[in-house]
Amino acid sequence: MTGRPANATRRASPSRRDGYAAIGEYAAIGDGRTVALVARDGRVDWLCLPELDSASAFAALLDSERGGSFRLAPDDRYTVERRYLPETNVLETTFTTADGVVRVTDALLLPLAGLPPDRELVRRVEGIAGSVALSWSVEPRFGYANGETRLGTRAGRPTATAGSEALAVNCWGAGEPRLSAGGIQGQFVAGVGDQSLISLSVAHATPLVLTSRREVEERLAKTIAFWRQWVGRRRYGGRWRDAVLRSALALKLLIYAPSGAIAAAATTSLPEEVGGVRNWDYRYSWIRDSSATLDALLRLGCPAEAEAFFWWLMHASQLTHPRLRILYRLNGVPRSPERELPLAGYRGSRPVRIGNAAGGQEQLDVYGHVLQTAWLYCRAGGRLDRDAAGRLAATADLICELWRHEDSGIWEVRSAPAHFTESKMMCWLGLERAGRLANEGWIPDDGAGRWQREAEEVRAFVNGRCWSEQYQAYMRFPGADETDASLLLPTLLGYDDGTGGERLLSTARLIQDNLSRGSLLYRYRGGDGLPGVEGAFVACSFWLVDALARLGQLGEAEELMDRMVGLANDVGLYAEEMEPEGGDFLGNFPQGLVHLALINAAATLEEASGR
Amino acid sequence: MTIWGALAGGFVGTLVLTTGLRAATELRLTRIDLPFLLGTAFSPDRVRARAMGYGLHFVAGLAFACVYYAVFSAVDEASWWLGAALGLVHALFAATALVNILLPVVHPRMATPFSAADATPLLEPPGFLLLNYGASTPVVMVIVHLVYGAIIGGAVSLSAQ
Repeated sequence: MTGRPANATRRASPSRRDGYAAIGEYAAIGDGRTVALVARDGRVDWLCLPELDSASAFAALLDSERGGSFRLAPDDRYTVERRYLPETNVLETTFTTADGVVRVTDALLLPLAGLPPDRELVRRVEGIAGSVALSWSVEPRFGYANGETRLGTRAGRPTATAGSEALAVNCWGAGEPRLSAGGIQGQFVAGVGDQSLISLSVAHATPLVLTSRREVEERLAKTIAFWRQWVGRRRYGGRWRDAVLRSALALKLLIYAPSGAIAAAATTSLPEEVGGVRNWDYRYSWIRDSSATLDALLRLGCPAEAEAFFWWLMHASQLTHPRLRILYRLNGVPRSPERELPLAGYRGSRPVRIGNAAGGQEQLDVYGHVLQTAWLYCRAGGRLDRDAAGRLAATADLICELWRHEDSGIWEVRSAPAHFTESKMMCWLGLERAGRLANEGWIPDDGAGRWQREAEEVRAFVNGRCWSEQYQAYMRFPGADETDASLLLPTLLGYDDGTGGERLLSTARLIQDNLSRGSLLYRYRGGDGLPGVEGAFVACSFWLVDALARLGQLGEAEELMDRMVGLANDVGLYAEEMEPEGGDFLGNFPQGLVHLALINAAATLEEASGR
Repeated sequence: MTIWGALAGGFVGTLVLTTGLRAATELRLTRIDLPFLLGTAFSPDRVRARAMGYGLHFVAGLAFACVYYAVFSAVDEASWWLGAALGLVHALFAATALVNILLPVVHPRMATPFSAADATPLLEPPGFLLLNYGASTPVVMVIVHLVYGAIIGGAVSLSAQ
């Protein structure tokens, strides 16, 4: 094992700045419907209910004063060690004070026993040594802290309600709960061998389930067992096993169980620049991630998740066919209207946005990704029905009509559209994959001749106009004097420029020279129509690993992989971006694209090295 | 008023309803596909499921026609507008309870309101008013069921003459 193991622990006293924990201080727990973020100081600062893309109940992440949170921590000064229980998405935080040690186990429970609530967050406290005085406080603020949250009691249990949302606080051995203006609080002392339990039963448009301690404990045990069984069925056993399996578990948290869609991240509006305006809602599924998603799921040995994701993609894109939105809601709805919330923003990073206006942009690369995804699905033994096959052929026809257009490119820049090179390469890939699908008889071949002719024209455009003799590299767009890390991506997906990889390798070298800071890469350096700057884009470094391995630079790729695996936070998770100097996490968290890129890079390295 | 009139109306009504839904799908108004939803309860093979689903949908269409006939008999009146009114109730019931709540509960491949990480269903649940299948889905459902009901009401009324 090289790099920091994903289950490593780090003993330190957590701190906050202006009430906000660093983004890298969070761990994620989830149940396939929603995700909660737990800081190292024991605060749950983010939880949307009932779904991942619903309004928040806890949003202290985006407004430390008004957002709402669930605090649980020792009263005295403490240090923290933290890890996921091995091969699970169940978090274990150990607090050590001068007087003793307690261990807190946090999980969103799966509905595997008894009568489960709609959602259920449990926090189990075990006394390990000495005695530790603890306080807890549940302060829900439903509707992104924008509605009125009423506190009361039902059958002797504290509750919080707002419209059709309700939450009951069940506690056993954790002190007598008290209602105050702000929330529900309790205090207790944990001695050696004591075991206390606090659970939140969540109801959405249904009656609250006031559950029993025995049922909660049974569901916790079965949730832990489920995660271990799920990990046990995964295929990867290579050199970066811990990091890959943690990434697989992180992805599973982002898979929306009812539809099979994968959210890009669990949060909205964590900033790409602290104090800046680059704050976006990532609780959507991006089409541009689809081919990496299917590839990773297949390489991990997740056929059920791959099948569900592929058909979600086919169903979701049906209403807009043959055009594709660049992102869809997790339930398949194509609309994503953007608006701003009256929240303070993470460390003053405003606006806080929900919805995503980029959904309506024209991005030509998405068509290539869909056909690549279909190719991977069929090659792995998946079967298309007649409707889906016809729609995929029509997608290839549409590429023939659209590829000469300018677009907004993979990064959703809000500057003027351009002929982005990566978009053209993905158009070529889409047409080439359509040809292969037709050759195998998986989609109608009526347009195959045209697809081949147009693919040659696309390649001629890329080789002729996007290549710079001066820089000996493909540039961001024709005539540009800057490169773009997205130009690594076509190499990963099988783009063939007819030069045997020579030009792709020299493009990778220019990207390294111009965009790297240590192990990290910026996406680009040129304008994007937005004020401010951003951090390095973590997924790009894993793309570079993957590209170098495919282009024969195996030793260099392995070395970079080791360094990148070491940049995860203490529980093995990554945000979208990192600040290269200090290593602070930036952007939404945990970021699916980074974990997808890590899995695929590790798998490519294993394949390339013949292990 | 005869049961044969109801069955004839149910046959034609289901034909029109199915065609209307398919047309709405082709026009990209909705992603709902009732034969597909029914058929996949019995087969994971998408082609076979759709074929079986059409058969099941026709049987369901005839069964509902018999229910309509029972209502007509109870009130001793049948007309196209009374049939359309029953169609409206039928559509609302289907969108809020039958397809939204009951079908996911019995469908082995469809997500339910309780699906979590331990499940990897292949079919997304319809959602309230079937809105997961597109914003126009409730409108489409009401229109095709109004037509379905009106055809049954008209057919039963004609059979009484």
